[in-house]
Amino acid sequence: MSKTILEVIDLKKHFAHRKGLLSFGEPHRSIPAVDGVSFYLKENETVGLVGESGCGKTTIGRTILRLEKPTSGRIIFDGTDITALDTGELRKLRGKMQMIFQDLDAALNPKMRIREILNEAITVHHELTDADVDKRIAELLEQVNLKRSKLSNFPHELSGGEKRRVGVARVLSVGAQFLVADEPTSALDVSIQAQVVNLLRDLQKQLGLSFLFISHDLRVVELVSHKVAVMYLGKIVEMGLSGRIANKASHPYTHILWSSLVEKQSREAGKKATSVQAGRWGVFDFERPLEGCRFAPRCPVFESKGRPDICTSAASEPVLREIAGGHQVACHFPL
Amino acid sequence: MKSYTQISGEIGEFSDLPFWKKADAIDIVYVSYGLLIVTLVVVSYIFGAFNFLPFDPEDIDLELMMAGPFTGKHLFGTDFMGRDMLSRLIVGIQAYFLPGLLAIFIALFFGTVLGVLAGYRGGRFDTGITYFTNLVDSFPRLVLILLVIAAFKPDIYYIMIVVGITNVPAVASHIKGKILFLKQKNFIEADIALGLPTRTIILKHILWHNCRSILIIQATLGMGEAILMETSLSYLGFGVQEPTPSWGNMVQAGSNYFMKGQFWPSTAPSLAILFTILGFHLLGDGLNNILEGKRNK
Amino acid sequence: MTAPLLKIEDLRTYFYSKSKQAFIRSVDNVNLEIGKGETLGVVGESGSGKSITALSVMGLLSAGPGVITGRIGFKSDRVQKNLLQDIGDFVKLTMMDGKVMAVQKDEDGWQELSEHRMSNLRGKEISMIFQNPKQSMNPFMTVGRQITEAIQLHTEHKSEQAAKERALEWLDRVKIDTPRLRFDNHPYGLSGGMCQRAMIAMALSCEPSLLIADEPTTGLDATIQSKIVDLLAELKAELGITTMLISHDISIISRLSDTVAVMYGGTVVETGPAKAILAKNEDLKHPYTAALLISIPSSENIKGKGNLQAIEGDVLDTINIPAGCRFYGRCNRVTDKIKEKCERQEPDLRDISPGHKARCWLYFD
Repeated sequence: MSKTILEVIDLKKHFAHRKGLLSFGEPHRSIPAVDGVSFYLKENETVGLVGESGCGKTTIGRTILRLEKPTSGRIIFDGTDITALDTGELRKLRGKMQMIFQDLDAALNPKMRIREILNEAITVHHELTDADVDKRIAELLEQVNLKRSKLSNFPHELSGGEKRRVGVARVLSVGAQFLVADEPTSALDVSIQAQVVNLLRDLQKQLGLSFLFISHDLRVVELVSHKVAVMYLGKIVEMGLSGRIANKASHPYTHILWSSLVEKQSREAGKKATSVQAGRWGVFDFERPLEGCRFAPRCPVFESKGRPDICTSAASEPVLREIAGGHQVACHFPL
Repeated sequence: MKSYTQISGEIGEFSDLPFWKKADAIDIVYVSYGLLIVTLVVVSYIFGAFNFLPFDPEDIDLELMMAGPFTGKHLFGTDFMGRDMLSRLIVGIQAYFLPGLLAIFIALFFGTVLGVLAGYRGGRFDTGITYFTNLVDSFPRLVLILLVIAAFKPDIYYIMIVVGITNVPAVASHIKGKILFLKQKNFIEADIALGLPTRTIILKHILWHNCRSILIIQATLGMGEAILMETSLSYLGFGVQEPTPSWGNMVQAGSNYFMKGQFWPSTAPSLAILFTILGFHLLGDGLNNILEGKRNK
Repeated sequence: MTAPLLKIEDLRTYFYSKSKQAFIRSVDNVNLEIGKGETLGVVGESGSGKSITALSVMGLLSAGPGVITGRIGFKSDRVQKNLLQDIGDFVKLTMMDGKVMAVQKDEDGWQELSEHRMSNLRGKEISMIFQNPKQSMNPFMTVGRQITEAIQLHTEHKSEQAAKERALEWLDRVKIDTPRLRFDNHPYGLSGGMCQRAMIAMALSCEPSLLIADEPTTGLDATIQSKIVDLLAELKAELGITTMLISHDISIISRLSDTVAVMYGGTVVETGPAKAILAKNEDLKHPYTAALLISIPSSENIKGKGNLQAIEGDVLDTINIPAGCRFYGRCNRVTDKIKEKCERQEPDLRDISPGHKARCWLYFD
């Protein structure tokens, strides 16, 4: 059994409303972007995190990397609690965990050539001689399958796929073992997405990387992940092996997510699937989470069971419980 | 009759050509003119500082008063006391050159510090700095300067400190805007996530790579303003005092004779002021269009 | 078969790049037909020219650097004209060694004529749904007001009251909950999906002959996407409106379209019935379409946890278009027999089976 590399325990991240200079006494208002999330990730494993925009999946990734300070909860990485590290210790930590950003240009300073960008990244955490740096650059280029001639280019001379490869090379260069990949393919063209997905999977095999793979592209997540966690309004509503989540979903929300995929494709399924989904589609107010189950207002099961009280009472917000080996769901009436 | 106009649409950013080839012709003219003026000013300043002048600027020649240009050896003629105009114009640069640099330094240094604090740290810093810049912006500059003169003494350096401080908000907001733009593109976060030291991120990635053109542009514009401020105050009699020449007090002194038909003594320094300030402003404007790509957007 | 509603012939939309001293050939020799009541799905990656084609049809590229040539025949019950007639007269090209050195365009004349050609068409006969509903609606007007105005402008419902009634009817029809409430909302008060519905209501309320939907679901969440697709499918069945649907998402295209055009590098590489093109068999298909379909994760990939079959190389840059086939550099089906032809000469768009055209040497000898 491989060891656990990352463990997140009851993580909360609330964003405070922006305060004025003199508003010390005002009551504290906050938006719960992540509201009590726990999961773990084993070495050489990929956990997929899916959900709609605004559900807090990107915030989780950023909080794990400590780009945001968690409001409460604990993050244990490689046996050490990293929740309360100071800036200096955090910098050392970044040699072990890294993030691939959704924006292709995020990691690429437009005024620096690719060689300088990689050189800088390599020497952040390791002091190497010029010859060693050159060797390392060559090695990285081979790993991400990028032509050597691109080294003297500026970022804006590269295509989307090449930019993504440089971005991956940059995070690999520090020698990280754990990567948060935040929508790594969504900014890319369809024909390039497959290249990048393959690249990430090959790298995982080669280097034994662990991924937290955040995406709204359900098919890609299903393909690359061993386990999938589904988020809804700041909470994980269902978690389990990717095959089970995709095919034997227990939470109504997960079911709707995956059936919306099939439904888009097949004309015949259209009518039937719509009736399953009939629910009210209100706009959610993130400041005031609804009492009880967060999904209830959109939930077809809630509707068909005649709006049971257990779903809406404040005392009985559903918690994750195991329904089969490793398959957890937070719902009073799992499908 | 159809009128055809040259079109030049850009899609995306192309790098095949160096930036001066991509620039509009008019911006090249602006910048070349500006650079010419800046060079002239700097060279003249050095000549003046080493007293390398055609004539003694305070040498009175009552035989040759208010001579026009190209009179004898006096290339730019003489003023109402027969003093050599060219020498006086060159020495007049002393009045604003170093004080102007001080104003620029204050504006750029504090503007950068405040801009970085507001943009990079954000939160309370940002709010506080915004209040401060609003406060400074809402105060008429000339009133502020007159207050300082009244409170201390009519020294050009005091005045330039005020000019520098009043330019801080503009620099700070430009820097902050750039940092927010970079933040929005996750650019700074990617640097933090990589584990780069904050010093490297701010000095190298933010200021050197992304803000240097802003700083150069602000410096040229700031110099233009400093010259304008110095000459206006000298004209009003608050700046450099006779017999030490300054462009402002030369205009003022010459203007007594203007109505009597002797145009040259006040026109020469006026033209010098006009062309110099124009030069600095056009340089700033042209650089802004070329380096920051403002014209096409 | 009736005459097509929209017939695009040899459409070329070029943008001149001063710094490259060359044309960006965003749309290059596009031929398309949309029959009445049909839905044409246009698939392609970024830079394939699919959106530019739509904007050219809408006459929205008339201002600025665009140079459009070709023929866009539009023929509805009420109007029949070529949207690009004589418009090329306003452009002068300066060529040197086969390279375009400069483009001069009589901006005012071009725009005037383009506006003249598009008058009574835009909004009334052809309307468009954009990718960013929030950005394409006026943020300072309520949603209801915008729809009412469009109705008053383009249909016979001129009175305020009648137009408002119709606007409400349309909001109800696109399944916006509590339309009376939403009527007085500003666009920013609506969620993305809701806003797209309002946009669809606005586009359809003028009863156009042709609806152009440019990436109508991109940027929306998965569940909302499927709802919008449902809505479009229902409206299609109900109203039988002719639609040009542009998307990079093949699943949406396959759900809604009758015919499909696949675009690559500024041109149409394959067009034909949706079933034939989107079926996952390799034979009788342009290699690009085949590779594109395979590169999307399928149930088989996922089950086997195997790698995806990626298309190597990068999307074509529309400045340096090669002499031969645009897809040659990335194609995995080039045989020795046709290799030379592929490299040197661009194939025409020709029938490979009745009603199914492709631009590939594999099928002609």
